[in-house]
Amino acid sequence: MLESVTLERRSGAGPVLNAASFVGALALGVALSLAVLVAAGVPTKALFEELVVQVFLSPAGLARTVTMATPMMFGALAAALCLRLKFWNIGIEGQLWLGAICATAVALYDIGGPLRLPLMMVAAMVGGALWILPSVLLKTWLGVSEVIVTLLMSNIAYLLLQHLLFGAFGDPTFNFPTSPVFDDAERLARFGWGDVNAGVALALVAVAVAALTLGATRFGFAARFVGDNPRAALALGFPALRVLLVSVLAGGAMAGLAGGVIVAGTEFRLTQAVGLNMTFNGIVIAALARNTPAWIPVWAVFIAGLNVAGASLKVFYGVSEGIVLVAQGVILLALVTGTFVTTYRVRFARRGLA
Amino acid sequence: MTIAVTAWLGAMPGFMAPLLLAALGLLLCERAGVLNLGVEGVMALGAMVGAAMSLAGWSPWAAMGAGALGGLAVSLPFMVAVIVFRAPQISAGLALAAIALGASAALGRGASHKPFPGLENMTWGGDWAALPVVGRMLFQQDAVVYLTLILAGLMALWLMRTRAGLRLRAVGEDPATADASGVDVQLYQFGAVAVGSLLIGLAGAYLSVGGSNIWTEGMVAGRGWIALALVVFAQWSPIRAIGGAVLFGGAEALIPRLQAMGVEVPVYLLSMLPYALTIGVLVLMALSKRARQAEPGFLGRAYIRQDR
Amino acid sequence: MALRIGGASKSFSDHKVLDAVDFDLAAGEVHALLGENGAGKSTLMNILSGIYTADAGRIEIDGAPVSVSGPAAAVALGIGMVHQHFKLVQPFTGRENLHLAASGLPVVPPRATVDAQISELVIRSGLDVALDVPVARLSVAEQQRIEILKTLLLGARILVLDEPTAVLTDAEADGLLSLVRDLAAQGHAIIFITHKLREVISAGDRVSVLRRGRMVLANRAVEDVTRDDLSSAMIGGQDVAVTKRAGARSGADLLSVSGATVMDGGATFVSGANLTVRAGEIHGLAGVGGNGQRELAEAVLGMRPLADGRVVLEGHDLKAASVAARRGVGMRYIPADRSADALASNVTLADNLAATAVRTGALGRGLVWPGRIRAHAGSLIEAFGIAGASGGARRPVRLLSGGNAQKVILAREIDGDARLIIAHSPTRGLDVAACAYVHDRLIEAASRGAGVLLISEDLEEILALSDRISVISRGRIASTADGRPDRAQIGDLMLGHA
Ligand SMILES: Nc1ncnc2c1ncn2[C@@H]1O[C@H](COP(=O)(O)OP(=O)(O)OP(=O)(O)O)[C@@H](O)[C@H]1O
Ligand SMILES: [Mg+2]
Repeated sequence: MLESVTLERRSGAGPVLNAASFVGALALGVALSLAVLVAAGVPTKALFEELVVQVFLSPAGLARTVTMATPMMFGALAAALCLRLKFWNIGIEGQLWLGAICATAVALYDIGGPLRLPLMMVAAMVGGALWILPSVLLKTWLGVSEVIVTLLMSNIAYLLLQHLLFGAFGDPTFNFPTSPVFDDAERLARFGWGDVNAGVALALVAVAVAALTLGATRFGFAARFVGDNPRAALALGFPALRVLLVSVLAGGAMAGLAGGVIVAGTEFRLTQAVGLNMTFNGIVIAALARNTPAWIPVWAVFIAGLNVAGASLKVFYGVSEGIVLVAQGVILLALVTGTFVTTYRVRFARRGLA
Repeated sequence: MTIAVTAWLGAMPGFMAPLLLAALGLLLCERAGVLNLGVEGVMALGAMVGAAMSLAGWSPWAAMGAGALGGLAVSLPFMVAVIVFRAPQISAGLALAAIALGASAALGRGASHKPFPGLENMTWGGDWAALPVVGRMLFQQDAVVYLTLILAGLMALWLMRTRAGLRLRAVGEDPATADASGVDVQLYQFGAVAVGSLLIGLAGAYLSVGGSNIWTEGMVAGRGWIALALVVFAQWSPIRAIGGAVLFGGAEALIPRLQAMGVEVPVYLLSMLPYALTIGVLVLMALSKRARQAEPGFLGRAYIRQDR
Repeated sequence: MALRIGGASKSFSDHKVLDAVDFDLAAGEVHALLGENGAGKSTLMNILSGIYTADAGRIEIDGAPVSVSGPAAAVALGIGMVHQHFKLVQPFTGRENLHLAASGLPVVPPRATVDAQISELVIRSGLDVALDVPVARLSVAEQQRIEILKTLLLGARILVLDEPTAVLTDAEADGLLSLVRDLAAQGHAIIFITHKLREVISAGDRVSVLRRGRMVLANRAVEDVTRDDLSSAMIGGQDVAVTKRAGARSGADLLSVSGATVMDGGATFVSGANLTVRAGEIHGLAGVGGNGQRELAEAVLGMRPLADGRVVLEGHDLKAASVAARRGVGMRYIPADRSADALASNVTLADNLAATAVRTGALGRGLVWPGRIRAHAGSLIEAFGIAGASGGARRPVRLLSGGNAQKVILAREIDGDARLIIAHSPTRGLDVAACAYVHDRLIEAASRGAGVLLISEDLEEILALSDRISVISRGRIASTADGRPDRAQIGDLMLGHA
């Protein structure tokens, strides 16, 4: 008599199981990440100090974390707004670079007079939205997978960034591929707390608007239907195509704005390193927040803290920054594997009848 | 002009081979229904391991073997997640990409920017290698180029002509039917993704050991993503993948050639060519009904026997 | 005794589908298995063929207990099944499918041997079919032949045919029945699942009936039971009769569809269809599934374009109107496939109930607060008696049973402003009480003056409810001059000869 395992799809998991599986998977992911750090040479004793005290509890460290979390909130919105419509935006970096490029162009060519800064932000959003547009059009018209198109558009955007930095945007007085530094009027205001700047206010406003729109407007309601069952949405008379387009473009705009706040808020110029790994950061944060805008700030701070810690671990213990990427990968893998518990029930049953 | 074309075509196979190897690896995964977005990272890891082993004094072949094994090793958690625990494949693949990219950066710091002796070209066919235009392309390449082409042929035969190949295709196409026919769906998926990861790791290792003879972070530079598109272009056929790899490899090989010829080109704009070409090709594929039908029917989905 | 199943039980996520079912089967017999939709027939057979795992029970073959630990074990035990939804890899050729199946044998024969066996089998069984074209290009009848060849190739002694005639024309079905008799005569033991009493009587030796997971009539010789025994066993002795409509008065034409043609991907689904629905009328559209019903309904609602023709509702020409505009003039839709076309399964019950009200702005034009949505849903839940929403309106709608899910749709679609209700197979898969409920609501809507277009494969339902009846066959709609064809005339119209 064979004892064996069969899987059965659950019709639904209760809130307790949902929460337990999330917390369990997260704990597992964090534990494995810590193990990786220790294996990479961080003394166990230093972990708490580096990963908690230095990045969340010390004012200077927290300022660094919040600064880094600012574009990440936009990046996570870029992932979540698209994912809610089952659109995989794996080109957040590309949209971010376009946003940064457009904002920089406004700054370098001195467009907009007194409205320069707002115009930079608008330009960043437009750039990001335009860069995601081909993928959503190709998907809806021809069914081309957005996964590949957004990825490839990212590569193209990076080359465009380099083209500009080595050419039109380059700073002739400088050997590095960077743009000239922005004027004061082209910088987001600082609060006198580290590099924390007005971008964080923008991010929180964006999160609030997204949360309200998705939670309490007709558009958000329609998005729930289109995301879950486009055919039913169509039969109910919801403008399925428009909802998809608007959500995805909004996602692209958020990614563009991430680029905008990086150049205008912290870097004050365009460089090759702007927003690296934002695609992955955004997707991890969105996964942690379960695509719910209201949770994004919390998890953006969490992931930003990890990255800030990574930077200091590099200085003090010679740990590569690659380790932070590994840690985020491990956390994401643990999270998505954890959905197994809520999706399936495992039965140890007697196979067949015997 | 002839000299330039000869040189261009002569360089092309070296660009083709890693794309083809990676595409063949992905093709195996996808034929078994598994979408592997980890490809870019797994290639990066393979490249790093190949370089590190070469620097440690291993022969190029041993180093590439190690790169392939590295690709397999780093893919194991992904395999367990998507095949056993039915994790969503896109997120799990991205997680694999991050883990492998991060690991290659972290583990490879000592190997960065250090040249090492790589794979030698084979000289065979005697005087034919001196033929204009096609001489170098056909008769003066390294062994991996030739072996990769042979592998594509063998894979096509295996998929289409053997019973195991039939089962594998059935698993990616319609796992419920494969299962009802007594095929162990998970086992085939494991096998396909394992061999696929070896090939993808090898593709990365070839980039450093067979190509540049030096390793730097980020040297894969999106080739994994192109390989992903190449599989669509090839309509999941290994033989068509050769054609696609030649096309993309040719586009890539063009850029250094033009520079070498002293042509004033905006190099970064020109480097967009392979990516733009890929998108264009995807659009063409989408317009063709036949190409769309070639996609394995269950690609990217999780199979549970008791589902309806 | 070839096969005996004892005490088989099975539940799917707490929903008990089989409850201690016994069944037996002798060599050389055709054992018919009857039961309504959802009775558990396929589930029982899937357990027998190793696809589902039973919660309890035992299987004996030739008196010896066996363990069907998976599909491969079933093959080894000589159990073969032709599934209701064929298990064929569509892009593969028939031959590839047969080779795939043969590769699951305990001892895999060489490929040349399999090819020889296939040729021999084709000749011996007379199951002639093109083996070297992709299965997707074959008709269902041809695909079915490949499925049967598959079971024979694997040497099945126990053969399960799950609703094999549902997809066949009458002539094809007769051919199949005689094949089944031949196979039984050769010593195979055959389980034949069907909804058609005629087939039970003409081809069956014994018969069993499942109802809601229980064997209510077990292993009886066909000679010993009457049609009435069988049908009352199937539906449980409740009154079969669907609520009859008492002579309704119908008014002016409400909906008129003229010359409607619907195409998709080069195929024509509906061609030149004409149809009117009057105010206060239930117009029944009968026909075998897959004859263009769904495409017609979706085109009328505006979900797909009309290649040609017109749709007019109360004077509004809707040819180019959006779904929202059509709904705005009172069109409503109850699709055949609830989970695919009507409900967003992972969205809450409240949202699903409130979808129309939210879209039209009835619950607020700017901000729509969740509280208002829940209040609106709450009143509908009460008015329509939607039960089993454990955890209330905030739980995903997929947790509801079929009958309650259908009530959600009715509650949403049949509101005071409904003028034309397109109801496609509105009682599919529902129990008797739920059916009656759905019928009452449709009748009620009609008596309020709305028009109902009732599309159904269930002739009893059509005959009981409709004021006028049309028939759709291969995308063409036909009727008799008076619009009231009788049973025989409907049968003729279904075959396409009017
Ligand atoms: N894989 C499954 N997962 C969840 N529920 C299932 C599954 N298979 C069947 N069911 C449920 O079990 C019940 C019985 O289904 P089954 O397919 O056995 O009915 P049936 O008698 O074959 O009906 P039909 O005549 O429609 O084929 C139904 O309520 C169905 O929804
Ligand atoms: Mg059934």
